[in-house]
Amino acid sequence: MTTDYQEEERQVMANLDYDRSVVGVEVDVGKHEVTKEKIIEYAEALGETNPVYFDEEFAKGTPYGGMIAPPLFYNLFSLASGLDPQVNFGTTGFDAGQHAEFFEPVRPGDTIYATSQISSVYAKTGRTGTMVFTVRRTSYRNQNGELTTVVERRNVRRDIRK
Amino acid sequence: MSQLYIEDIELGDDVGPLLKEPDRAQLDAYVKAWGTTTGRFVSDEAAQAEGFTGVILPGNMSMGLLAQLLTNWVGLEGKVRRLDVDFRRSILPGDKLNCSGIVTDIQMVDGENQVTLDVFTETQKGERALQGTALVVLPNKG
Repeated sequence: MTTDYQEEERQVMANLDYDRSVVGVEVDVGKHEVTKEKIIEYAEALGETNPVYFDEEFAKGTPYGGMIAPPLFYNLFSLASGLDPQVNFGTTGFDAGQHAEFFEPVRPGDTIYATSQISSVYAKTGRTGTMVFTVRRTSYRNQNGELTTVVERRNVRRDIRK
Repeated sequence: MSQLYIEDIELGDDVGPLLKEPDRAQLDAYVKAWGTTTGRFVSDEAAQAEGFTGVILPGNMSMGLLAQLLTNWVGLEGKVRRLDVDFRRSILPGDKLNCSGIVTDIQMVDGENQVTLDVFTETQKGERALQGTALVVLPNKG
C-alpha cells in the first residue's frame, strides 16, 4: 500500500502545475509596529490570564521587566503575503498547521521586520486521496536585528468533491 | 503565580488540562484584531458555502489557545521554545476545548532543562482537533 501511495505522490508532483521558480527565494514582506493596545486586544480575545500580557505594572516585576506579547502574537501582523507558487490543485485550501520556534520575546514598541520564502511544496497521499502541501517559512526580527520567531506555515490543497 | 521547576516533573506527567470555551464574541474579537473581514472565520454564509455549519475558528487562534497551556505551565521563569501543531479538525465557536499535554522527554542540553511534550486539543466530542509537539525550558529550584 505504501508503495502505491508513494507512486501516486510522485506522479502528482511530476504533473503539478505550480511556479517552481519561487521555491527557496526569500523576500521582505514588510514590517509591523507592535502596540501595547494590540497585545492587550489579542490577549483578551484568547482569554489570557497571565498579567505579563496585559498589566504593565505587574510585568515590570517579572524576569521580562515589562509587558511582552503571547508567543503566537505574530499571527496578527499585517504583512505582505510573499511570493505565491500558485499551486493549481484541488478545489480548496486550508491551514494545515504551523511549526513555530520562539527566540526573543516581542514587546510593545517593537518594530518587527519579516522575510518569507516558500520552503517546500510536496504531495501526501492517504486513504482520503492526495493532498498538496505548501510550506511557507517566515522569519521575524525586531528593530535590533534579533530573531523573535521563525514559523513554517503549512497550507494544504485538496479536492473536497471526492 | 507559582513557578514550576524541573525537579517537579517526571517523564509521563500530564500537563493541564486547560479548559477553554471560545465563544462567538471571542472569535469576532480575534478576527477583528487580526483585521480579517471576510471568509470562513467571519461569515456564516461563507463558511456554509465551504461545507461548514457556520463560522470556524482560525487554526492560528486555536493554536494560540493551546500555547496558553504551555505558557501557563512553564510560568514566568520558563520558556516555550517550539510549538509544532497540525490542524486536524475545525473548531466551532462554543466548542468545549480540552488543551492538554504529556511529558515525553527530559534532557539537559547546553545547560538548559529541555522538556519535550506531546500536546493536543480535544473537543467535547472527544476528537483531536489539534495535535503536535512542544519544547519548553524549565528552571532549576533554588
